[in-house]
Amino acid sequence: MKKYLALVKLLFVQQYKSRIAFNRQGAGKKRFGTVMLYVVLAVCFLPVIISIAVAMYHMGKLSGGNRYIGTFLTLMCQGLVLMFGVHAIMSNVFVVKDADKLLYLPLRAYTIFFAKLTVAYLNEFITTTLAILTVLLPFGIGAQAGASFYLMLPVALVLIPLLPMLIGSLIAMPLSALVTAFGKNSAIKTLLRILIYVAIMALYMYLMYGFGFLTGSENGNILDNPEVYIKDILEELTVKLEKIMPYFHQDYMLVTAMLCSGIGDWALGFFAAVTENLALLGLVFVVSLPFYRRMLAMSVEEGSRRRRGGKERFRIRNRGVVYEFMRTDFNKTVRDAQMGFQSFAGIIMMPIIVVIMYFMLGVADEGEASLLQVVRISELYQAIAPLIILVYMSFIGVGTNVLGLYPISRENKSVYILKSLPVSFNKVLLSKVLLATAVMSASDLVTCLLIVVLFGVRWYFGIAMFAVMLLVGFGAMCVTTLLDLKSPRFGWDNFNHGLKNARNSWIAMLISFLSGAALIFISVPCIVLYAIFGGWYILLVMWLLDLAFGCAFSAVAYRVMVVKAAVYFDRIEI
Amino acid sequence: MIKLYNVSKTYAKATFKAVDDLTLEINSGEIFGFLGPNGAGKSTTIKMITGILTPDSGTVEIDGINLADNPIAAKTLIGFVPDNHETYETLKGIEYLAFIGTMYGVPSATVKERVDEYAAMFDLTDALPNMISSYSHGMKQKLSVIAALIHDPKVWVLDEPLTGLDPQSAFQLKQLMRRQADKGNTVFFSSHVIDVVEKVCDRIGIINHGKLVAVDTLDNIRESGKVSLESMFLTITAEDKRQ
Repeated sequence: MKKYLALVKLLFVQQYKSRIAFNRQGAGKKRFGTVMLYVVLAVCFLPVIISIAVAMYHMGKLSGGNRYIGTFLTLMCQGLVLMFGVHAIMSNVFVVKDADKLLYLPLRAYTIFFAKLTVAYLNEFITTTLAILTVLLPFGIGAQAGASFYLMLPVALVLIPLLPMLIGSLIAMPLSALVTAFGKNSAIKTLLRILIYVAIMALYMYLMYGFGFLTGSENGNILDNPEVYIKDILEELTVKLEKIMPYFHQDYMLVTAMLCSGIGDWALGFFAAVTENLALLGLVFVVSLPFYRRMLAMSVEEGSRRRRGGKERFRIRNRGVVYEFMRTDFNKTVRDAQMGFQSFAGIIMMPIIVVIMYFMLGVADEGEASLLQVVRISELYQAIAPLIILVYMSFIGVGTNVLGLYPISRENKSVYILKSLPVSFNKVLLSKVLLATAVMSASDLVTCLLIVVLFGVRWYFGIAMFAVMLLVGFGAMCVTTLLDLKSPRFGWDNFNHGLKNARNSWIAMLISFLSGAALIFISVPCIVLYAIFGGWYILLVMWLLDLAFGCAFSAVAYRVMVVKAAVYFDRIEI
Repeated sequence: MIKLYNVSKTYAKATFKAVDDLTLEINSGEIFGFLGPNGAGKSTTIKMITGILTPDSGTVEIDGINLADNPIAAKTLIGFVPDNHETYETLKGIEYLAFIGTMYGVPSATVKERVDEYAAMFDLTDALPNMISSYSHGMKQKLSVIAALIHDPKVWVLDEPLTGLDPQSAFQLKQLMRRQADKGNTVFFSSHVIDVVEKVCDRIGIINHGKLVAVDTLDNIRESGKVSLESMFLTITAEDKRQ
């Protein structure tokens, strides 16, 4: 037990311990800046969180604390935990990279496995806590649940991640085997991981949709009578849930204990939930341990097998420093399974969100007009919709483009190479920003195409959106590159650990949020004029102004990056 | 060829100087061995010579070029073999060498020619198409050596270069160091292995607690005290510790 606990502590602490080596000048000022940043972020994101919480509160109120609905919401939370956790389970547990560090220790394989599983489980706590606070807690308040509900929340926090752990392991095992089977071809491995991630996301959305959560009501639409609309959906959902509940009995028992009507009800729910979840944990262990042992053995053998040479032709061509930097950076990122997944999975978010938005807004029952159809009739649709979508997509796109968020941190201990090369550091930075922008532009292009095709936005507005997104994206990447250079994270063994608690993506979203606000500020007067006078030239002026803003923003951001970068680069001591 | 004037460096989190007022001059055509116990300041000095670290005070000159004033021109003259073998693990060996060649502005044909020559010398030709992450410690070391020679540098800086090399490769490396010096280039290398330093170097420097405590030619050392380099090293570092 002592060994197990020591190993859990080591593995858990290790992932948060990235060595940051640079001169901490003005550390106090920096702390204040960080606090202010979190305050601003909280202000920005609070409305979204509050909206979800309010919706859950009403759901609790309208359903009267229906246990099936409570179970459904618990499943929703577990779906989120699974979506964010399956990759972590795969990379932390099954893709064995530290065999040489652990195998010589006097530890049994199952101790190592269980310690790794525990660390993966502990990591799920953050997502679970957030999900409980935004979904289950408001639901309970709305349902006017008794004291047992609040007393059971910590128990729910402990039990909720167990089902995602089982499902995550079941998904991760064949996936890890498949990934390992591809041997040297790391690019295919990365692509495979991204595809699986997309599949899980799509499956999650499909299930939510299939349960009737997003379908309409037979008694009018949500705008006419929201209460009746939601009640209808909840009733429909309850009928469907009754049929599938035996498969998620442990969740139903947990919710029974939380929303109990008496001590007997509570005791039954509590003991059944704990026992059934412990059985799940046992199942995870029994099913996964043999597989882990096999992966462990394969990882040890693989190193020596791959060392033997092969015959392969490679053409050495000199194509310029910036190009070579971009090519090398791209190759080393895409071939690192974790880095590749983190860097490229984010950029598929935008197209997926556009498709989801289309299904949410564009689908209606027969004979009825969808919300999208209603909105499209408006004369202002072509003026407002592209702008709103542009701002929203820039926000998501920049925040999820890991390639541009950690360009220096991903160099890790090899950063000395950049420092010793006889190349201007500005060229290095330019290559990093261009690579991030180039990759993001592919996503931007697909997004704009989908918006033109699905949302009926005119093609020339689609082109304008793409151009502005590209410019704002370039500017934002300059800022995030500079921020990463200012506080890089080196010394990580696992790229996921290098990103832990990193604030860069939040800052990036804040930057795009502010630039989006600026775009709206510039465009609103034109939209008002268009609404009053009409005339295509007003929209032309609006897009020209937006493009000018994009150009100015990217030019200023690039200039600031170049001016400040040298000082921060010099500070890095590795 | 390499000149350090009153160079000092204190790391951000440290309370002591890693290198303290170091002044040193290394000539063309010379193999200079840099000795010192663990944590003496060898790697810090090397990192300042190669431009990886900026000194807090003092100047570093490479072939008359001030590293702080014109880092790119100065770095172009240097080939560096680090002690940690950290490279881009997910690149293939050949890709890494091509990348380094481009960075130093070496024509593709020349890169190919040199890669072929050195890879054959170090028995690495078959491994070059493989990912660096699959290399052993010694193979990574050989790759670093080849990368450092791709642009035929005037100054070759090696940090603990013999660690992990098989005897044959170690022999080849020592031969290469001599060949570079004979061409009029400068070789600066740090090592713990006193025997190697004694056999290869023209001149040595001993650093302890960040201060240069001795610099001389091996001939002078041999003539003056009639003692081995090992006993001289142990005496000097022990005296310094007592003080």
